[in-house]
Amino acid sequence: MAAAGGSGGASRADNGYGSQQPRRRKGPGALATAYLVIYNVVMTAGWLVIAVGLVRAYLAKGSYHSLYYSIEKPLKFFQTGALLEILHCAFGIVPSSVVLTAFQVMSRVFLTWAVTHSVKEVQTEDSVLLFVVAWTITEIIRYSFYTFSLLNHLPYLIKWARYTLFIVLYPMGVSGELLTIYAALPFVRQSGLYSISLPNKYNFSFDYYTFLILVMISYIPIFPQLYFHMLHQRRKVLSHTEEHKKSE
Amino acid sequence: MGGRAGFFEVEILDWKTKKQLCFLDKVESNATIREIRLMFHKLYPQWYPARQSIRLDPKGKSLRDEEILQHLPVGTTATLYFKDLGPQIGWTMVFLIEYTGPLFIYFLFYFRMPFVYGLDERFTSSPHPVVNLACICHSFHYIKRLIETIFVHRFSHGTMPLRNIVKNCLYYWGFAAWLAYYINHPLYTPPSYGKKQINFAVIMFLLCEAGNFSIHVALSDLRRDGSRTRKIPYPTKNPFTWLFFFVSCPNYTYEVGTWISFTIMTQCVPVGLFTLLCFIQMTIWAKDKHYTYLREFKDYPSLRMPIIPFLL
Repeated sequence: MAAAGGSGGASRADNGYGSQQPRRRKGPGALATAYLVIYNVVMTAGWLVIAVGLVRAYLAKGSYHSLYYSIEKPLKFFQTGALLEILHCAFGIVPSSVVLTAFQVMSRVFLTWAVTHSVKEVQTEDSVLLFVVAWTITEIIRYSFYTFSLLNHLPYLIKWARYTLFIVLYPMGVSGELLTIYAALPFVRQSGLYSISLPNKYNFSFDYYTFLILVMISYIPIFPQLYFHMLHQRRKVLSHTEEHKKSE
Repeated sequence: MGGRAGFFEVEILDWKTKKQLCFLDKVESNATIREIRLMFHKLYPQWYPARQSIRLDPKGKSLRDEEILQHLPVGTTATLYFKDLGPQIGWTMVFLIEYTGPLFIYFLFYFRMPFVYGLDERFTSSPHPVVNLACICHSFHYIKRLIETIFVHRFSHGTMPLRNIVKNCLYYWGFAAWLAYYINHPLYTPPSYGKKQINFAVIMFLLCEAGNFSIHVALSDLRRDGSRTRKIPYPTKNPFTWLFFFVSCPNYTYEVGTWISFTIMTQCVPVGLFTLLCFIQMTIWAKDKHYTYLREFKDYPSLRMPIIPFLL
C-alpha cells in the first residue's frame, strides 16, 4: 500500500508518496542525525540497486515478464529493513507517529512476505512488477529527500518529485498490490495457507483467504483518504515554496 | 482583581474564529465557572454545560466548574474562549451500555442462536461442563461491573464525547462475540489438563474478582464525602487491599488476573488475545494514574509501581 513513514530531518508523518509541511522542531541530536543520514543513504542505494537490477534484467530477457526473480533478494532485504523506521519513531529521533509508520511499513512487509513470497504462483504475475516499480521509484525519491533534508540542502527537484510523482505512482502501486492479492486467492484457498480450522486445543480458527479479502476491502476506505491528503499536502508545500521564492 | 461594586464583565469568544458569542455584564466576582456555563447555556440552549469547554486561552485547558471568576488571571472584563466538545454522554450511561452488550452477546452464542452456528446446531448445548462454567464466570464478571457502575463508582469527570461510545462498543462487543463464538462452538476442545486446570482457574478467578471489588469499594470510600479531588489510596483491613502497598492501581492488576484466569479456564486463543490487549491498555492507564499521583503528592509511597509489583 502506501510507502513507509518518515525517516529524516525536516518533514514527517506521511506515507511516503507525499508529506506534511517541513516543520521547525527540536530535531534529533548530532549522533542520531548522523545515523539517520547513513540509514537514508543506505536505503536510497538499496532501492537504486533494485532499480538497476530491474533494468538489467529487462534488457537481458527482452521482456518485462517475471522480473521479480532478479530483484527478489534486495527487495526483501530493503523493504524489511524499513521496519527500523518504526523504531526511529518509537525512540523519538524521527517525529512521526509510531502507529502510522508501523501501519504503513507493516502493510508493505505484509505484501512482500505474506503474499508475494508465500504464494509462489503469483511471482510470475505482471501485477508484481507494477507495484515493485511504483515502490522503487517512490522509495528512491523518498529516501534521498530525507537525506538531503537532514543535510539541510534540499534541491527543489527532489521536493517537487516527492510531492508530484505520487499522483501516478500511488494508484499504480495500489493497483499492483490489489491485483497480486487477487491473483493469490485461488492458491491460498487450495493449499489452506496460513489457515487453521477447528477443532484444535487452542480453540482458534483463522481463514487466510477471508483475511486477504478483508485486506482488499480495506483499501476502499483507506486509499482515497491518503490520496487526497497527499494532494492537499502537495498544494500546501509546493505553493509555500513558490511564495518563499517570490519573497526573496 | 475585583471590579467596582464587585461585578465583572465576561465576554466569551469562539476559540477558533474569535467571534464574540456572548457578553455577560454584572457577573458577580465570586461567580463560579459552573454558573457562567449555565448562563451561556441559557443563551445557546443547544450547548449544555457538559459540552462547553471554557478556557482562558483559545487552545488552553478547560476550566473546572469549581473555579471562581475573581481568582482567575483576568481583568474586570474577562475574556474567555469557548469550544464545543460535541455531544456528551454521562460515564454511568457509557458503562451501562458497554457492559450490557457483552453480557447479552455471550448468551447469543451460549444458547446457540440459529444464525450463529448454523441451523443444525441451533439451541443445542455443549457436553462440556467447563463451557457452562465459562458462561457463569463471564456473566458474573459483567453483572458485577454493572452493579459497581450503579452503586460503587464515583466519577471525577461527568461525561465523555458521544463518538467514543461507538468506538468503545465496537471493541468490547466485538471481542465478546469473538471469544464467545469459540468457547461455545460445537467443536470446542476443553483444557488439556482437565479438571486441575479448570479448578485452578476458577479459584484464581474468584480471588481476582473479590480483589477487584475490594479495590473499587476502597477507592469509592475515598470520595464518600462527595468530593471530586484525588486522594492517595491506602491499604485497609481487607487483605485484598494490601496490594496497595505495592501498586498504584491494584484494581487493574486484579482485572488482568481475572482475564488470565479466564484464559486458563477456557484455553482459548481469542480470550488470550483479549487478555493481552486488556493488559496493554490497563498498563497505559495505570502508568498515567501513577505519574499523576507522583506529581500531585510529594509524600507518595515510593515502593509502589503502576500495575505489577516491583516490575511495571
